[in-house]
Amino acid sequence: MRTRQGGVRWAYLLEASALPFLLVLLCVFFALLPATSDTFPTMDNLRITIGAQAALTVIAMSALVPLICQEYDFSVGSIAGLSAVFSASVLVGGGSIFVALGLSIGIGLAVGLVNGLLVTRLGVNSVVSTLGTATLIAGVVALKTNGKSIVSGIPDELTDFVSGTWLGIPRGFYVAVIVSLGVWYLLRQTPWGRYLAAIGDNREAARLLGANVKRRVLTAYLITGAVAGAAALLLIGDTGTASPQVGPGYTLPAIAAAFLSVAAIQPGRFNVWGTLVAIIFLGALNSGLNLAGASPYINDFANGGALILGVALASLLGRNRQQRV
Amino acid sequence: MNPDDGGNVALRVRGAHKSFGGTVALDRVDLDVRAGEIHALVGGNGSGKSTLLKILAGVLPADEGSLQLGDQTFDLQSFGPRDSRACGLRFVHQQPTVFPNLTVMDNLCVGGSFAVGPAGGIRWRATRANVRDVLARFGIDAAPDDLLGSLSPSKRTMVEIARALQDLKQDGRSVLALDEPTAALPVKEVELLLPMLQRLARDSGQSILFVSHRLDEIVQIAARVTVLRDGRNVTTLESDQVDKATIVQAIVGRPLDTYFPEPVSEHAQARPVLRARGLAGGVVSGLDLEVAAGEVVGLAGPMGSGRSTVLKLIYGAVQMRGGTLELSGKALTVHDPEQAIAAGIGYVPEDRVGHGILPGLSIADNLAIVDARSYWRGHQQRRRELADATEAIRRFGIKASSPAAPMSSLSGGNQQKVVLARWLRRSTRLLLLDEPTQAVDVGARADLWRLIHEASEAGVAVVIASSDPEELAHMCERVLILRNGRVAAELSGPNAVTEDEISRVMMDVEAA
Repeated sequence: MRTRQGGVRWAYLLEASALPFLLVLLCVFFALLPATSDTFPTMDNLRITIGAQAALTVIAMSALVPLICQEYDFSVGSIAGLSAVFSASVLVGGGSIFVALGLSIGIGLAVGLVNGLLVTRLGVNSVVSTLGTATLIAGVVALKTNGKSIVSGIPDELTDFVSGTWLGIPRGFYVAVIVSLGVWYLLRQTPWGRYLAAIGDNREAARLLGANVKRRVLTAYLITGAVAGAAALLLIGDTGTASPQVGPGYTLPAIAAAFLSVAAIQPGRFNVWGTLVAIIFLGALNSGLNLAGASPYINDFANGGALILGVALASLLGRNRQQRV
Repeated sequence: MNPDDGGNVALRVRGAHKSFGGTVALDRVDLDVRAGEIHALVGGNGSGKSTLLKILAGVLPADEGSLQLGDQTFDLQSFGPRDSRACGLRFVHQQPTVFPNLTVMDNLCVGGSFAVGPAGGIRWRATRANVRDVLARFGIDAAPDDLLGSLSPSKRTMVEIARALQDLKQDGRSVLALDEPTAALPVKEVELLLPMLQRLARDSGQSILFVSHRLDEIVQIAARVTVLRDGRNVTTLESDQVDKATIVQAIVGRPLDTYFPEPVSEHAQARPVLRARGLAGGVVSGLDLEVAAGEVVGLAGPMGSGRSTVLKLIYGAVQMRGGTLELSGKALTVHDPEQAIAAGIGYVPEDRVGHGILPGLSIADNLAIVDARSYWRGHQQRRRELADATEAIRRFGIKASSPAAPMSSLSGGNQQKVVLARWLRRSTRLLLLDEPTQAVDVGARADLWRLIHEASEAGVAVVIASSDPEELAHMCERVLILRNGRVAAELSGPNAVTEDEISRVMMDVEAA
């Protein structure tokens, strides 16, 4: 009703700034906490925190795409890990970075195609099917690596590029922002992205409005695969190694960040810039906890809690949006 | 407004008042439902019906007012869901809340009326006996172990009603509120349900508060009618005053004759926009259909006759098994709605909420989605889109706070206007409408009819599939009556396309 519009606008602003506000609060807290006041509010810590989030950001962007059409991809971290071990062995064998990037994206597209076909053609629930592919990928990685990491022979150009800085900020972060921009453009500025949002809102209505649901959902999985695959180079460049274990560990934090995006920027909707805020939030939280000397398992609590909070907020804010007049 | 001294009043509401912010939704409304009567509550969208029902159910606290049921009196400010249930008010809502894949017994007992043994297990024999008793009491011809989905829609509704009332003594003290129970039912099922409701009121003395947009039903079964408009009591009609013209005039506040557009003039000689030959798919087989520019053709027929399927075939929502389509003289192949939209065909589905709207997206999004490509210049031109949406809201008389408001914030009638406007504002050549005014109030219905009429005047070819002879008679120049996926009869010309004639031929066709 018209008279309540003012109140609605306030509620909107409040929800749009909920997570950014928490982020500020968190930073102030760790900056004042005696245990971290020397180490947390420093340029070095900012550099490390942001730099370490580059791969996670790109993987979170990949996880965001199917969420827009109400589908899930629980294999995004695994895709990045799979691409990492294969392209690392290409790099060690003397292949160029561009060949490695092409291979990473190619592997991602292949897995994305499998996921997309399972979901659209066979009608398998996307949570189950992508958990299945994630498990299969773990098997392929074990077969390829015998469980051993590739620790030497990664070209310095790659590690130097990712760990180097421009204007004091790690280059990996710029890459992550550019990928985010690309995903934002796809989701918000193309007819494809609008149809994807329509599919997420009411699948049958979207079909009747010409959205070609199967083709678009399949494309969403292909894009997810390609973006998650490309993240492999950030994984390798960040550490100079390719470990068979690291990939799957990115899946849940990435999905947690995508879910938390409903509490930032565009409240009640999964969105790119909210995801970025959520990643910085998670990074600051984990960094602060580590600097405060908390045991490593605390990070599991933080990430798990964030995922649950994000899912809860997503359904809560989404519901409010529908009911509010 | 209309204090009731006569009769034995079961439910008495006095001065129910509710405002949201500065908007008064309900302005000191009174309502009296006599014991054992069917009392209709009618009014347009936004008249306050839903608000009143929510207050009665105890889910929305009123600002002022009182409620008396039997010998108990309640203050409506503190009337909660438990109070509502405890004092004998029961509700059956428009959306069916039954479980089609479970048995009749499960459906009846799911609220907690299973007979339970000492260990918490269900005592099946006692439960089954109870259920048989309930089914007999409510005159439902079904066995406890039948799957609910195998019952006819009218029986399913009766099971819902029985579930709501089964724990009450039938002493006329309880009141059953039915919120548009017939909105989702085809005409034939409505005809079966209404006598069952009448029997419930007459034989068991059940008081019923009946909310419906369908005036025919109200005239048929309601003893008295309370009309709301803009949150106020307009009048309560006594049984000798209950006729359609009086009700419509009370609801819309203007006389009946201004509310029907004149049927369009003859178009038989105009060039055909759509020519379908031997159309087949789903239940439809070998159907021919021609529609000229500016012509409005109706499709009538019982459920399952294929009237909806014909539209879906032409729109590409159901795959064609055979036949050919021509649009403006050119052969047309549609494998999916995308191709139909590109060819200039628009479609309004029967199920607005499930198939028509994108509830969480904005009104502007809902309008622009079929034109997403034309708003793309390397980026989405959202400013142009919002301006166009504002224009559409004005032009089509949509009541909305802003084009950015979510679709779910609109009333049903206004949502349907958006669904229609989506096609009317682009260059649509052929408009396929499935039950275009189902479950909207008479005011919105008149608006929608006017919009469709204007489109046809502008040269759009229109096909309307409808179960409502009144709608067909008022909108169409020609009506095809379908049976088992084929054309069984055709009516054309102002003398043949009348409500009575359509109803009569439909009955003939069904009986054949």
